[in-house]
Amino acid sequence: MSQNLITESMVFDELKKAIVETLNVDANDIKPETSLINDLGAESLDFLDINYRMEQSFGIKMARHFVLEHVEEMFGEGSAIDEDGALTDKAVELLKLRFEEDVPELQAGMDMDEVPALVTAGSIAAGVMDILESLPEKCTHCGASDWKAEGAAVKCGACGEAAVYANGDDLIKAWLEKVQTEKNLF
Amino acid sequence: MMQIYQGIDIVEIGKFREIILRHPDFIPDIFTEKERAYCDSKKDSSVHYAGRFAAKEAGIKALGIGMSGGGIDHTLREIEVLPSKSGRPELQLSGWIEKLSQKKHISQLTVSISHSEHYAIASVVLTGKQNTV
Ligand SMILES: [Zn+2]
Repeated sequence: MSQNLITESMVFDELKKAIVETLNVDANDIKPETSLINDLGAESLDFLDINYRMEQSFGIKMARHFVLEHVEEMFGEGSAIDEDGALTDKAVELLKLRFEEDVPELQAGMDMDEVPALVTAGSIAAGVMDILESLPEKCTHCGASDWKAEGAAVKCGACGEAAVYANGDDLIKAWLEKVQTEKNLF
Repeated sequence: MMQIYQGIDIVEIGKFREIILRHPDFIPDIFTEKERAYCDSKKDSSVHYAGRFAAKEAGIKALGIGMSGGGIDHTLREIEVLPSKSGRPELQLSGWIEKLSQKKHISQLTVSISHSEHYAIASVVLTGKQNTV
């Protein structure tokens, strides 16, 4: 179901806050198209810090496995990464769908270590939004449908328990199944 | 033909310590039980965690896979840093990382870790066969 307690702009504001606290940058420099690595100088430890901050703020579990790792698990070894360790045509096509915008840098044969620079503030926020959209209609504890937002956290108005969302990995798998049904890439 | 890959990474221990304290999931997400048992047996465990984190990052760089960035990178857990019988650290790969290393025909992995008061640093060297295709 599509939840409307937490809007996209609330997610982006929360992400900005996390990035500012982690990287000591100016909030005005953070736009949806900002690359955390290329534009803000983030390193791996910073990514982890930012992602954990988002998990804590929203009470969610982000993906632990990369999209292409799920692809190889679901559609077989070699389906996303070729023998030389580079991205296959299909992997590139899939990532283009995933990033939902035109990313000219995305090309078949690119190395896997070129992918992280493509991660933008907008793509992280979209990942969080996907998880928030999995808010069930009814509270899994008491069955009431009375969600309330307290800042970034959604709680049940009847029993007070925190909302339980789908985790990031399960959502990636579901998305891959949907894409496969529609596009038959693999 | 033999191919050599190398990766290096430096970690600010103070920053690392703050992050693991702020996020209780960090250590169990990124480090295996064996790694945790080893680090927790040391006087200042966060120094050893920081060194091992640098080794994992250096391993990822040597393999040329970068970090996933889209989430919390579980592949770091698949590069396990354990002491050998002699006490030197060794790398053990599993899961998706192991499969990627097989694609690159990696046959040997070596790691070296060092730290000072403020920084931990690690270097990883991999040897493999160059693909003929
Ligand atoms: Zn309830």
